[in-house]
Amino acid sequence: MKDINELIKKFNSFFQEKAVLTRKYKQQYQIVTGRDELLGILNWCKQYSFYHLANIVCVDWLEDEEFELVYNLWSYEFKIGCLVKIRIPRARPWAPTVFELWGQAQVYEQEIHEFFGVYFPGNPDLSSLFLHNWHDLPPLRKDFDPVEYSRQAYTVEGLGVKPEYEKEDNSEGRES
Amino acid sequence: MYLPDGYTTLTKRAEKDDREVYDLFFGPNHPGMHGNFGYVLEMEGTQIVKVRPNAGMLHRGFEKSMENKRWVQNLSLIPRVCVPDPDPNEVAYCQAVEAIMGVEVPRRARYIRSVVLELSRLGSFLMGMGGVGGALGHYSIMYLMMESRDRILDLFEELTGGRVYHIYNIPGGVRRDIPPGWKQKVLDLVDHLEKRIPEYDRLLYENPVVHTRLQGLAPLSAEEALTSGIVGPNLRASGVKADVRVDAPYAAYDEVEVNIECSGGGDALARAVQVRMDYLEAIRIIRRLLAKIPDGSFKLDLGNLMKLKVPAGDAYSKVESSKGEFGYYVVSNGGMKPYRVAVRGPSLPAGLYLCHKHLPGMKIDDVAVWMATLAICPPDIDR
Repeated sequence: MKDINELIKKFNSFFQEKAVLTRKYKQQYQIVTGRDELLGILNWCKQYSFYHLANIVCVDWLEDEEFELVYNLWSYEFKIGCLVKIRIPRARPWAPTVFELWGQAQVYEQEIHEFFGVYFPGNPDLSSLFLHNWHDLPPLRKDFDPVEYSRQAYTVEGLGVKPEYEKEDNSEGRES
Repeated sequence: MYLPDGYTTLTKRAEKDDREVYDLFFGPNHPGMHGNFGYVLEMEGTQIVKVRPNAGMLHRGFEKSMENKRWVQNLSLIPRVCVPDPDPNEVAYCQAVEAIMGVEVPRRARYIRSVVLELSRLGSFLMGMGGVGGALGHYSIMYLMMESRDRILDLFEELTGGRVYHIYNIPGGVRRDIPPGWKQKVLDLVDHLEKRIPEYDRLLYENPVVHTRLQGLAPLSAEEALTSGIVGPNLRASGVKADVRVDAPYAAYDEVEVNIECSGGGDALARAVQVRMDYLEAIRIIRRLLAKIPDGSFKLDLGNLMKLKVPAGDAYSKVESSKGEFGYYVVSNGGMKPYRVAVRGPSLPAGLYLCHKHLPGMKIDDVAVWMATLAICPPDIDR
């Protein structure tokens, strides 16, 4: 195993106060940064042997009016994991795409776009992957209530079919 | 066979018909498809031109419904994320919760967890190797492997009460101790499984048909595998010596020897052979674990688990499943329910991203084999 402290020193001298690197536990580190620095930091990480992007997670912080994006990296050389975290405003959310660094990020971003409504300018395909004919709020947001949605959608009324008793009576010649 | 003049078979006609591109639904109702997942293949004759993954038919909203259940209630839901190999889910989730709480699990519990994980891995590998046979039309391989897997499920039933879904791990340890005599039964079983390997070899690994079909199919270089998020046996088959059990030891893997080897060809045959190598190693690891299993308590006392409160924080915990790195990213805001649970499934990069690179140019009969050797398990794509 190579010297991790040297890597941290290099990182801190390169980015200084733009990003905060801390150790979480055992082999897990985290970097908290902003949207503008994201691509630079991920690029740096990939150059310093963080080849593996495990996944991208979006967390909806409803009270802070923010989305948190977590990029989950792993270095096979140093044997440490790193969570790169950014916060973006909840209104008109967007983040730069990283699919040119890691190909599979395209699918993760497509998924986050579908379930949280975050835009990734530059991503070639943000079409619907899992949901079919979805017209409601993105479903993994905290203000989306699945129970309420089911109550409205999965009734006779919700499906756009009128129940028998509400149908207009067009038959003529019937008097009460 | 009598054929009228000018008659050609359907396949030949389809191969000649090179102008027409048509859509073919490979799954969800296809014998070569694993689970309710599908690819829409744009075909030119019998050759694939383009592929569109058709996911969503298995989507049960795991991540959303976990936010509405208590910490322990989720344990009955998460094994469903991967059906043939359910225990890595439980362990990864419990480890993430324990990491946020900052508690240390008793040593005996860590050993029991490792044994359960390895047994689950054996069961999943048997299903995977049988799946390769099934995809090639050699159904007797499938039946043999399923018979062996059933013996593992019997042991799980004795230990946990459940055959397929065990719900055995809880935050702080495991649900119950090993019953008397179970240890010897496991040792007898692994002896039996090891004795059967020559039988598998004769049927699958020394079979010229299997070699012809798998050699050179869907090659994956080490660099491409690393930067595409490919993990586990598939990554090792490309020649990268990486395993979560060695790189970031969890449970009791820091106390036992884990020897990982690479088959290192990168094609489908190398991936199939890699599974056999890992299978043998899992048998050896079970013996090492059972020889060292210590006495002591098998769980921590965390009070009433239904009222468990986890302090605010987040953690990512990963486990080497039979398909590779299976991870859970868990966020807590200090309440009785998780704030967010995100699943990192090993099949997603292969099933949704790599398919765009591998499938175009492939013949349709190789798609099921490709899926079987990459061990694509749709439930962790649709989660």
